[in-house]
Amino acid sequence: MVDTDLQRRRSKTGVSRRRFVQAAGATGIAVGLAGCAGGDGDGTVVISADEEMVSAEDEIIAALREAGLDNDVEVEIEAEDFETDSRRQSYSSGLDAGRSSPDLFMMDSGWTIPFIVREQLTNLEDTLSSDVRSRIDNEYLEAAVETAQDPETGDLYGVPIFPDYPVMQYRKDLVEDAGYNPDSDDWATEPISWMEFSEIIADVHSENEDDIDYGFTTQAAAYEGLACCTFNETMSSFGGAFFGGRENLFGPIGDRPVTVNEEPVIDAIRMMLAFMRDDDEEAADGYEQIAPTSIVQWTEEDARGPFTAGNAISHRNWPYSVVINGAEDEMGEDLGTMPLPYGVPESESEYDDLGGSRAALGGWHLTLNPNSDNFEDAVQVLEAFTGDEVMLAIFEHVGNLPPIPELMDDVGEDDVGPIGRYIDTLQVAADSAIARPVTDIWPSQAQQVYQEVHDAYTQEKTPTEAMDDLQESLEDSDQP
Amino acid sequence: MATDQSGTPVEAGGDSGGIFSGVFTWMENLSEAAYAYLLLIPGFFLLALVAFYPLLDTLRMSFLADETRGADPLGGFVGLENYINVLTGNTRLGRQVIDVALTSNFPFVELGTPFFRQALFVTLAFALLSVFFETLIGFGQALVLDQEFRGRRWVRVAIIIPWAIPIVIQGMLFFLLFQPTVGFGSDFMQAIGVFGSDPLASSRDSFIIVLVADIWKTSAFMALLILAGLQSVDRSLYDVAKVSGATPWQRFKYITFPIVLPALLVAMLFRTMDAMRVYGIIESTAGCSTVPSMTCLVIDGLFGGTRIYGTAAAVAFLTAGIIGIFITFYIIKFRDAEGGFM
Repeated sequence: MVDTDLQRRRSKTGVSRRRFVQAAGATGIAVGLAGCAGGDGDGTVVISADEEMVSAEDEIIAALREAGLDNDVEVEIEAEDFETDSRRQSYSSGLDAGRSSPDLFMMDSGWTIPFIVREQLTNLEDTLSSDVRSRIDNEYLEAAVETAQDPETGDLYGVPIFPDYPVMQYRKDLVEDAGYNPDSDDWATEPISWMEFSEIIADVHSENEDDIDYGFTTQAAAYEGLACCTFNETMSSFGGAFFGGRENLFGPIGDRPVTVNEEPVIDAIRMMLAFMRDDDEEAADGYEQIAPTSIVQWTEEDARGPFTAGNAISHRNWPYSVVINGAEDEMGEDLGTMPLPYGVPESESEYDDLGGSRAALGGWHLTLNPNSDNFEDAVQVLEAFTGDEVMLAIFEHVGNLPPIPELMDDVGEDDVGPIGRYIDTLQVAADSAIARPVTDIWPSQAQQVYQEVHDAYTQEKTPTEAMDDLQESLEDSDQP
Repeated sequence: MATDQSGTPVEAGGDSGGIFSGVFTWMENLSEAAYAYLLLIPGFFLLALVAFYPLLDTLRMSFLADETRGADPLGGFVGLENYINVLTGNTRLGRQVIDVALTSNFPFVELGTPFFRQALFVTLAFALLSVFFETLIGFGQALVLDQEFRGRRWVRVAIIIPWAIPIVIQGMLFFLLFQPTVGFGSDFMQAIGVFGSDPLASSRDSFIIVLVADIWKTSAFMALLILAGLQSVDRSLYDVAKVSGATPWQRFKYITFPIVLPALLVAMLFRTMDAMRVYGIIESTAGCSTVPSMTCLVIDGLFGGTRIYGTAAAVAFLTAGIIGIFITFYIIKFRDAEGGFM
């Protein structure tokens, strides 16, 4: 009985199997082909950068034209996540997949070398014209260029857009009200010790306790920035090193000593503990409590927020924040900068060129996507970025320093806006830059570093325990 | 009489072209069941392409060595070495999958790293706890929604809203809630003594935050699935029970629960599978370093900067294997329930 119903129903609808399969097949093929018919790029050279660059897009493109870029080469800057780890992740997946867009990547100097070593970037040795190539060799900051080269062959794979060095920012008005003289004491160019710094900040904070919550804000979350930069520079200012000094920064992996459990490194951690808590028995003596414990949850923007809002006395951050804080409608001239304080003077450091005021070498390079559809145009854009006009435009509008240090010698506030007031501090920071030990395995080593340091900061382990564990795990991982 | 006659063999569609007419004729003479399978072939093909092929490819990748340099992301065949390294903690990953040692004293196992820093334990604890609480809360919500009352429609909407919020937005909510300058969460939780001073920096505290965030979001999902089961209960059964003098608990135990059980098990199965793969809520709240889950480790191996595809594939396949064990467990229970749970 059921079958007869079925038969009647089917003949009523009248769609035969043949028709059904024909219709379904035709639709499916049509839809499938529609997906394949994607258009090519429309010839625009796409640069992947961050929000800061995008906000200055018009000025940068105008400067590119002035530097000689053809008018028929269209350029577009798109923004990715500001945080360096996320950018690395998204570029890694894009290059793994062989995507043709974006054409140019802005890559952190701290993780360009792993991409080079994985053969995922275009070799620029023969791609750039020879005068651009020699300009980079002769005039660009050497430490920055080193992080864009293949560590074995020395071939260039990226054009440095800007090197970056953090500085210590502080509320000049509050400091002067408390009776200090930053200008006549040359704070902008003469580094002071961390001990002196903590005393000054604690003093100024005690006079402003009702209005201001924090004395010193910095970044101490468990992220790449702690290992590469914030902790690296603090440790270096005490004369400590990850792998036994500057000559072992980029290798040889497996053949260099691991030196994280030495006294200077532990001293640096003890000082940070003293900054955060006054009741920790592991904390160093002589330092005042000036930072909130919440710095262990803060990255760059989290730490900048309170300072820009006027709720902190001092702040360690990259120059982009100097542009933000020094603007007329924020702090304006009430913002002062000084080089990062030192733990021990350079003469007391065991390793060459360490100790004294140290600033982590950051900075970003422009690299070329080997799968790009607009190769020739992208090379043109890359070469235009080496022009003086572009460097100064970026400096003025984004706050990123030119990779040619001499360009800043005659520049003042009238040329580049608020950041022009702080150039002398930036020059001091440039001379004291310390790079991170970037190799193809540094990202995983950095994770070990920031996890152990973070454990020490959050009192999960004592500094000695944390550094002993780190010594062990770095020795294990430092194999080719 | 009830033979499967699939219409007249050669229909008026003789315009299909000489090449295909033989195929079409064969197709029209198939039985209903066989025709159904034929039409399902594209679906199976798509499933094989999108689900089975990647799974088998991951298995293949997990048998090859890591290559951190060079153009080729994978090296030669190394057999089970990646799995052994993953289980003994000898990888380049930031956190370990498992780190226990056997001791002779009670409780006979010793944790090398803290419990909430081992990915396997974090993932299992998260899956078990979140499904347990979501089922409990979801069941309660469903029982409430099953009653007739004014404004029931609005209560349903209110319950479903957390489910509708994107994961990253929700993660941001909880992140800001526990930032000292922005939210009240850390002060409050510290005052009642549950959390330490920086919850987003502590593995144990952040685990609880992520767990609560997920329960808040997904109880709605469980509530709706269970509600569907509840609404299929015949109301007259309750009348009979009331007349017979059954207490509310007895009504629940003998009528509601057995009838709802299949829907409940399906809901729990789906939630367990999803919970074992937790990543988004962790990354947008506390970060993968503080609360490592299995998927966190996979992402770390793939995109963490140091390219260790073989290890990542091993962790991914392990996760798939554990999910498979859970599914087998549920399916066996399901089969029992079908046969009558009374």
